[in-house]
Amino acid sequence: MILDANTVPTGSTLQAEVCVVGAGAAGISLALSLQEAGIDVLLLESGGDQADARNQALYAGSVADERMHSPLDRYRERRFGGSTTIWGGRCMPYDALDFEPRVQIAHSGWPIGMDALHPYYEAANKLCEAGDFAYTAEEAFTTPRRPLIAGFKEDVFSTNTLERFSCPTDFGARYRQRLINGACRVVQHANVGAIELDETRRQVDHIQVRTLGGTAFTVRARRFVLAAGGLETVRLLLASPGASGLGVGNARDVVGRYYMCHLAGTIGTLSFTEPRSVYHGYEMSDEGIYCRRRLALRPQVQDRLGTGNFIARLHHPRITDPAHHTGILSLLYLAKAVIPYEYGKRLHGEEKMKGGQWLAHLRNVLIDAPATAVFLTHWLRHRTLAARKFPSVIVYPRRPRYSLDFHAEQEPNPASRVSLSDARDELGMRRLHVDWRYTERDVHTVKASLAALAQAMRDSGVGSFDYAPDEVEHEMTRYGAYGGHHIGTARMGNDPADSVVDADCRLHELDNLYVSGAAVFPTSSQANPTLTIVAMALRLGDHLKRFS
Amino acid sequence: MKTKVLVLGANGYVGQAVIRALQASTWAQPVAGVRGASRLGDIESRKLDATDASALGNALKDVGAVVNCVAGSPAVMVAGAQALKQALAPLGAAAPRLVHFSSMAIYGGATGVVEESTPAGTGLGGYAEAKAQTETMLAGLPNVVMLRPGCIYGPSSPQWSERIALLLADRRIGDLGAAGDGCSNLVYIDDVVEAVLQSIQRADVGGCVFNLAMAQAPSWNDYFIAFARRLGKVPVARIGGRRLKVETKMLGPALKIMEIGAGRLRFDTRRLPPPIPPSLLRLWGQDIRLSSVQAQQRLSLAWTPLETGIGRTADAWRALAR
Repeated sequence: MILDANTVPTGSTLQAEVCVVGAGAAGISLALSLQEAGIDVLLLESGGDQADARNQALYAGSVADERMHSPLDRYRERRFGGSTTIWGGRCMPYDALDFEPRVQIAHSGWPIGMDALHPYYEAANKLCEAGDFAYTAEEAFTTPRRPLIAGFKEDVFSTNTLERFSCPTDFGARYRQRLINGACRVVQHANVGAIELDETRRQVDHIQVRTLGGTAFTVRARRFVLAAGGLETVRLLLASPGASGLGVGNARDVVGRYYMCHLAGTIGTLSFTEPRSVYHGYEMSDEGIYCRRRLALRPQVQDRLGTGNFIARLHHPRITDPAHHTGILSLLYLAKAVIPYEYGKRLHGEEKMKGGQWLAHLRNVLIDAPATAVFLTHWLRHRTLAARKFPSVIVYPRRPRYSLDFHAEQEPNPASRVSLSDARDELGMRRLHVDWRYTERDVHTVKASLAALAQAMRDSGVGSFDYAPDEVEHEMTRYGAYGGHHIGTARMGNDPADSVVDADCRLHELDNLYVSGAAVFPTSSQANPTLTIVAMALRLGDHLKRFS
Repeated sequence: MKTKVLVLGANGYVGQAVIRALQASTWAQPVAGVRGASRLGDIESRKLDATDASALGNALKDVGAVVNCVAGSPAVMVAGAQALKQALAPLGAAAPRLVHFSSMAIYGGATGVVEESTPAGTGLGGYAEAKAQTETMLAGLPNVVMLRPGCIYGPSSPQWSERIALLLADRRIGDLGAAGDGCSNLVYIDDVVEAVLQSIQRADVGGCVFNLAMAQAPSWNDYFIAFARRLGKVPVARIGGRRLKVETKMLGPALKIMEIGAGRLRFDTRRLPPPIPPSLLRLWGQDIRLSSVQAQQRLSLAWTPLETGIGRTADAWRALAR
């Protein structure tokens, strides 16, 4: 059943066994898992089925440094389906090492191991519509496939791990009918405000819900789950005083701290001596999933070099510089205005285009017109019109030269922080302020990994990787924190001094309030978070089923 | 002395399989009731019109059981049931056991877990309505067992294996997203046949109705993906809503007309690309799950695992040159 909160009478109370706040990847996965077990679930969602500017504006907030973090109403969507309505679909699990305490990464280690999460990854992969849970080339493919780099020595970087791509699945559109068929009640246009405790101060008694239409009601449930994303969950917790007066779950001032994104950038030039030795595009698995290999820094090398987790992909040359002489890249540059902000940012950069450059790009488009036409036909057929979308722009360069696209773990850092500002939104709720920071260790992770790659290229004799070591810090922060990955703000741990929730994702401070989403991840891994968000939501679902 | 079992509709997919199983048994001797020429080789056959009560009465004289798998137009199915009723009712308690094939179609648009006690749907279409009518007619007989199978698949099953294989080979179906989320309620042909044999032999199941669907039947999407992989029709395509609309609204009617035309001209219609009518697409999205616990318990059925069933079906498909 899908209800509109505006039709719930003001002053009334909705009851449920479990109330989930937020219908995104986490909330929808959790609700599906609970309704399947016959549990009475109420799923509250601020938005409706369509994007709505007024509703989205409730997400606006401030950032300490605009160069370092995107605006808070970008890369997240306040509507049914949450940010899965705009995600890119890249899936891969966390690595076993991500759960372990590592000497080189401060505050690392999860209270659970890979074994606790592994049973849920297969189902999570299915919900993400990413096919089999098979993340190495050997497991995923039944026929031999092209190597990433033929002749590459794999002792430092492996090349057989995969990223798999979701459709990308909009969880709202995809699972709407399943939610309607089940016993779950979805309430759209419902904005959660205050979280009120009972007299024991160990239980949430009820939460207050308001609509932009001006109505207000309360929800009572045996258990509550905040699944509103890594930023909004902080806002919900801090907006109410809780038992300590410092915010719900915030007696020890941990809520909103340890905020991580990922460190990502495009750098340098990989030149290969043998043009046909390299394949950096997608392969399709038997069940129809786009898969792509990557360079992954091996765990023991991470320990030896004292780095965090790190992966990299071969990428097309930076498109802003017309020297690539590639029509489609120039066209992408010229098409700046029609590419969504979230994707355009890293494609185009922030620089102003000069007239001469514009002409040079135009020249590329015209001279390279046949190749551009082939590309656009493929794009139209396999992306624009396809139900399963070709994941990204892949350009096979004329010369065997690529840039390197890297994605690295960020160290948990209590000074990197999300808090409330004094500004308020239309509903009177305090807005968020984000002060994202990175550490010396983060710079070291990228620097040492890139140096190791350059060495591995030389040792393998397949070519070279040239980059300016002095530019690494600048390149990894050129566009600031990687957008859309909001991690660690209500982290999981055994010690309330440096964590917000326990191994069951329940707040240390309260007996019936849980958090689902990347907020609970103590470390950020090299992996994009969605698949693990879904797996963790399913794990939480199993935990909550034990009470019924 | 073996029990003679009359199988009506013996030339059909299920009928043939039942005949084979009876022939292989130690206790039964199949007798094929067929309208036209028998396609069953040396099996004893009686040419009879299953809608003719007196002919049926004669055919029933020396048999210990009768299995009704007559397919055909709704009118033929209803007339057949009417004739069976007329032939069997006068025999009273001495009537042979009748195993009657109904269908899950009688539940119509029901959703959720459906047990045998669930009433038939309302506003049913031609086939489903006819099946529901046959049930009502035959329900009063003293010695009848009704079977309501889900979707019967297996080597050369025309509807749920061969048609699906053709559609998969043409990449016209695959992973359908939300449109393929419905439960397939698949049941393997061997399990259906076993249900028939048990229904004939067990005295205590007279008057019972059984849903037949494998436990934990996959969603249609999962079935399509698994079957395509076993057929080697990979990579499996993802079919979006727009494509499916084209299938049902434009391609569907055109192919149906072709099929009818080809049928009139006596071409083998199985060589034509099968249409996907809107009703089929509705079924693939329908959240209906047959509970087959009764059949499992009372008929001691063990469901063939999907991998096994699909594997045998795919092997048979590949073995046939196409």
